[in-house]
Amino acid sequence: MIHNEVIHDTWSVCPVCLRRIPAQRIRKGDEVFLRKKCIDHGSFETIIWRGFSEINEWVNGSDIHFSDEPQCPDNCGLCTDHLQKTCCVLLNITDRCNLSCSFCLADQDNNSIDPSFEEICESLQNLIVKGKTLVQLSGGEPTVREDLPEIIRAAKTKGAKYVQLNSNGIRLGEDKDYARKLAEAGLSFVFMQFDGNSDAINESLRGKALLKIKQQAIDNCAAFNIGVTLVPTIVRNVNLGNIGQILEFAISQSPKVRGVHFQPVSYFGRTPGTPTDEKRITLDELVFEIEKQTNGLIRYNNLLPSCCDHPLCGFHGDFVVDGKSLIPLSKKEINEGAGCCDTTAAEKNRQFVARRWQRPAGETENSTSCCGDIHNMEYFLTRVATHGFTVTAMAFQDAGNIDFARLKHCSFHVYDKGRYVPFCAYYLTSWRG
Amino acid sequence: MEAEKKKLVCCKCQKELEMMKTDFTYLGHSFFTELPRCPECGQVYITEELVRSRISEVEMQLEDK
Repeated sequence: MIHNEVIHDTWSVCPVCLRRIPAQRIRKGDEVFLRKKCIDHGSFETIIWRGFSEINEWVNGSDIHFSDEPQCPDNCGLCTDHLQKTCCVLLNITDRCNLSCSFCLADQDNNSIDPSFEEICESLQNLIVKGKTLVQLSGGEPTVREDLPEIIRAAKTKGAKYVQLNSNGIRLGEDKDYARKLAEAGLSFVFMQFDGNSDAINESLRGKALLKIKQQAIDNCAAFNIGVTLVPTIVRNVNLGNIGQILEFAISQSPKVRGVHFQPVSYFGRTPGTPTDEKRITLDELVFEIEKQTNGLIRYNNLLPSCCDHPLCGFHGDFVVDGKSLIPLSKKEINEGAGCCDTTAAEKNRQFVARRWQRPAGETENSTSCCGDIHNMEYFLTRVATHGFTVTAMAFQDAGNIDFARLKHCSFHVYDKGRYVPFCAYYLTSWRG
Repeated sequence: MEAEKKKLVCCKCQKELEMMKTDFTYLGHSFFTELPRCPECGQVYITEELVRSRISEVEMQLEDK
């Protein structure tokens, strides 16, 4: 018989009625589950760790202990009990989309009316802290808007330090002149949906073959010096086994591609059914698969638990691409404890990601040739600026696995009508639909 | 510019410093660069300007976010 051990007391929601209820992280053998009970809808248990590594070592004492019942997510916006500042702020500029994916957190609606340019400018005016803010323009698919260049320009004029575009890449690939306009308006970098290097994967998750257009989008962005980070949603039996090839492709596209940002599938918005534990991909499993599928090119020790957010919400690895090799800059045994887990972590994280995801100004094909010794300080400094490469992940929470000890550390906020709401609280949807 | 052209002399050996390949390590990574060095005792002179520019840049690139 497997011994059940409570390793942390926390709070969550009933996935059916979304009522706030106590929850526990329970260890059963190597695996860890989030267990909770609603008086109306019964008990729920969701796997959160499969045991490829030790969860307590990964969390490393970062958990808060609740003395009182928290107010999450009712008062999200943010309340005084929130433990992290804003690192990146997301602004939704449309609910429309030119795809119809089986998984969509925003649950796109092509009949919806977009916020006006004036309304968006008002939001930008309110959310931007001059010289600091990293704003993500998101949707839906933001490139369905013809006035996206004007929106980007407005964000820069109002003082946003970085403007990120979250896109599926279709318009960027089809319309090179549109990419040029975005670059001229001041776009900093693109987070581009990229689920795998086969069209069978794209057809399964996105309903059509997209590989060719994604490559064109990468090339069009490169033509105007816009860095692209690939963002795969990882789904079991679809592309979990493609992780190594996604990374291999991304590395081959450096410096056009700045990194890969993995998102293990979460069940909010539009999803094909209620999740089972078998379908879920835990963060430790993702790390294990990365190490296995890259044949050790990227190791567990190179991927550090999130410091800006809760460690169970993601990880980051920092590398330099040199020839065909990937040189790790982040190492657990060296960096552990060096990072700052207080509220300044959001600021540090913002500077770090922007440094890597944004291409240096004036970079051309010729300035990115590879012919040096990475131990030469001058070559290293040039190379890390042009060919820095990140491997990061964010494990979004849904009604099954949302854990308020994690939510309270969230630094990724959605701006909506004057409120900054932690991403997973904003998009939380009941399993009832 | 004049100051840069001045000869640097080792305070211990009174030998003129020569530009030599110098190794250093930071956070487990090893690098080399050319620095004025005493040919006798090996003592290295690092200008404040270098510390504030290139070396602090190496630190920033290697330190965890």
